Amino acid sequence: MMTTRQKKIGLSALAGVSLSVALAGCATDATAESGSGSADTDSTPAASAAATPSSTAAADDSTGSSTYQDGTYEATGSYTSPNGQEEIDVSLTLAGDVITAVTVTPEATNPNSVNYQTQFADGISEVVVGKDVDEIDVSRVAGSSLTSGGFNEAVETIKSDAA
Amino acid sequence: MLADPSAPVDPSADGALAPRPSRFDFEAIGTHWQIETPHSQPLGPATRAAVLERVEAFDRDYSRFRPDSLVTALARGAAEVDFPADAEPLFELYDRLHAATEGAVDPLVGARLEQLGYDAEYTLRASPAGEPSVPDARDRPTWPTTVTRTSASPRSGVSVSAPAGTVIDLGAAGKGYLVDLVASVLRDAGHTEYVVDGSGDLAHSGSTPVRVGLEHPLDPSKAIGVAEFAGLSLCASASNRRAWGGGLHHIVDPRTGSPAREVIATWVIASSTALADGLATALFFTGAHQLAKTFHFSYVRMYADGRAERSRDFPGELFA
Repeated sequence: MMTTRQKKIGLSALAGVSLSVALAGCATDATAESGSGSADTDSTPAASAAATPSSTAAADDSTGSSTYQDGTYEATGSYTSPNGQEEIDVSLTLAGDVITAVTVTPEATNPNSVNYQTQFADGISEVVVGKDVDEIDVSRVAGSSLTSGGFNEAVETIKSDAA
Repeated sequence: MLADPSAPVDPSADGALAPRPSRFDFEAIGTHWQIETPHSQPLGPATRAAVLERVEAFDRDYSRFRPDSLVTALARGAAEVDFPADAEPLFELYDRLHAATEGAVDPLVGARLEQLGYDAEYTLRASPAGEPSVPDARDRPTWPTTVTRTSASPRSGVSVSAPAGTVIDLGAAGKGYLVDLVASVLRDAGHTEYVVDGSGDLAHSGSTPVRVGLEHPLDPSKAIGVAEFAGLSLCASASNRRAWGGGLHHIVDPRTGSPAREVIATWVIASSTALADGLATALFFTGAHQLAKTFHFSYVRMYADGRAERSRDFPGELFA
């Protein structure tokens, strides 16, 4: 069941980062079953990640809450790659905040994209899973830095406006 | 951001619990900071005051969000603004980042960020001019072509001139640079073992390694891996936390005017925090091989599809 976590990433990415997900086809289905086995399938994306009005699929009824209505969402995203403007169509089926199906058309066809599918001779690429921070014996955490009070308040305002 | 402070501390060699380290917490440039030193070497009052003075001066000079800053003076049309001596190393780093990323990292992205709503009022709504469009490269101001710097000597300040309305945003490397400046204050006061943690952008000094969780960009209660290192700096960048509506967030490619896609989080370990910070942003736009031609660093980069990529020499592990 590890794909659930991975697909959840796709969902939140759609909410916050628009639609360049899954160009490598990894989110399309169980292509990247990892053997970690820490099946933390019941966690939901952080509110901060899901708080943004989502992409075109659900932009009109964004409630600002961290849960999504069940159903199938369709969206078209475009992005600028070094080779020019590229478009993808994404279809997501959501049930209980979990992506149960993803279709991405077309799949990645562009091996020259600078930031995508960079297969380094000296690099390692793999699907990662989240472990609870309090289980990994770290003294600090580094991630998305700097969320100032003013910024957070503004986001809250937008969320309440959108509700 | 800190892990649970009640987590057990490392047992010392004889099996007894090591005394808790000394910590100094403060707020600066809109976020939480913490300096950790060994239990036996707390920061004295004078050092604490010097740290606070340092961060306040930096904020006063470089903040795009303050009406009294040098950056704001330039944006409001001052023909020439004199920056202090600490400006030149930061500006030189931007020179190198701009060249290595072919313009993806550019302080002049500031005007675009404001258009998109990431302004001093936190409008967080794109102005009409903020509709995504690809600006004509010939018309677009860039760091090397628009900003003129003159410096009497490497140790003196630097005079900056730019057309009215030029908004310099030092978000890519500024916080990391401030971590380095704070670390200098500590070293000047005789400290050799410390962690300066500016909300996840941190510098470490000493022989005892620090273990840092790599926060999952979509779930802050989780980590996708851990880094363990000594005597180096680690910076992270992620596009989710400071995201606002319509797919907009604060990591913008000035060449297209659009927020970065595909990459959702980066972590970089380098010898200086400013460099690690700048590269963490650069990796949203530029391949690591390209950057490695200019800079020495190790990194982890996570994509929207859940994959993460790391350099072989990254000192730590990813959870797969």
